[in-house]
Amino acid sequence: MSNPQVELHILDLGVITIELDAEKAPKCTENFLHYVNKGHYDKTIFHRVIPGFMVQGGGFEPGMTQKECDAPIENEANNGLKNNHYTLAMARTSDPHSATAQFFINVADNDFLNHKAPSMQGWGYAVFGKVVSGNEVVDKIAAVKTGRKGFHDDVPKEDVVIEKAVAL
Amino acid sequence: MPHPTPALSLPLPCVQAPSNWQRVDFISDLHLDERESSTFEAWVHYMDHTPADALFILGDLFEVWVGDDNTDSFAAQCIAVLQRTAQRMPLYFMCGNRDFLVGTALLKATGMQGLQDPCVLALDEQRFLLSHGDSLCLDDVDYMAFRAQVRHPTWQQAFLAKPLSERQAFARNLRIQSETRKQTHTDYADVDTHAARAWLQTATCETLIHGHTHRPAEHDLGDHCQRWVLSDWHADSTPPRLEVLSWLRDKAHGPTRGLDRLPLRKA
Repeated sequence: MSNPQVELHILDLGVITIELDAEKAPKCTENFLHYVNKGHYDKTIFHRVIPGFMVQGGGFEPGMTQKECDAPIENEANNGLKNNHYTLAMARTSDPHSATAQFFINVADNDFLNHKAPSMQGWGYAVFGKVVSGNEVVDKIAAVKTGRKGFHDDVPKEDVVIEKAVAL
Repeated sequence: MPHPTPALSLPLPCVQAPSNWQRVDFISDLHLDERESSTFEAWVHYMDHTPADALFILGDLFEVWVGDDNTDSFAAQCIAVLQRTAQRMPLYFMCGNRDFLVGTALLKATGMQGLQDPCVLALDEQRFLLSHGDSLCLDDVDYMAFRAQVRHPTWQQAFLAKPLSERQAFARNLRIQSETRKQTHTDYADVDTHAARAWLQTATCETLIHGHTHRPAEHDLGDHCQRWVLSDWHADSTPPRLEVLSWLRDKAHGPTRGLDRLPLRKA
């Protein structure tokens, strides 16, 4: 079976196509497709943009309203996939197994986010896909102006909206 | 022939950061001096306004420190600033090659906590090795010999027993020698890569944070090891050299990069 692909249509910026690694990251892949298919990501924003590091989205609507999510999933960071430039990984809190809907796209090789050990400190962040087209759209997101909004740093001054996420 | 790596006595002292620290700042090499008033003012402004939850000063805060009994007006002003900061947040101090005579009396008077060089800071997912950096500049053989002499407790006791004026004269001489050296030497010793990596491995850390060399940069040492060099401070340079290295814990759900360089404005 070929790997599933998902298109993220970013308002005014273009389309990012992501290939998910269903073999190495089955749980993350299933989880991401679940949120895609129920329309969770439609009209959400990239709310955390740090050039030279990563762009993160999938959890907030414009106006920084947080969306409800389903149960957290197991961290698959020990699958051998690396947090390299233009890879897709699950965001989470300091609890390694707390990822729900939020994801991020690495915009640099972030070795220090890779799995080191099955401990609180060493789990790392689970990579489960990569951008196969639309790198330039990712670059445009990473280049937007950001500032502080409420309790959040690095929030784009103008919303970067995922119009829709479509499983191919 | 590589120089032998200075031995570390394990276990190293370790500061374990509480989980409520959101931002931790690192500064070094301010070389505070009453003749450099704009750098002093920028430092006072920074100290009174930083939103950090803890501050680590990694050496050469002072251009010179000849003993804690020196209470001239400039020293008194610095002490007042350090006291104010230490009341707001945990304030840690490591000696550098200029202010290695800072002692327990100053720590007590200001409320700063002294740090051994090197020591470990454990922050969340990362262990940082903190050092001033001079003890790793192994190519500077003359300095290493001088360092071994002046860091010896016997030398320090004898030196501190001298009258203040004599100590100040000694410091002035050292300064003149250092200035002359700057004019005749263009090639300064840098931190020895082999020794830095060996220290990191022994201390089971991945990131060394140090000052001393006045060459702010991030160096990849291989094997996931890195060396972050703090900037020196000089407000009257163009552009001004005023920079803090900050570790930031993001309140958001997601990964953090850890360290970031934050430029400061002139006061």
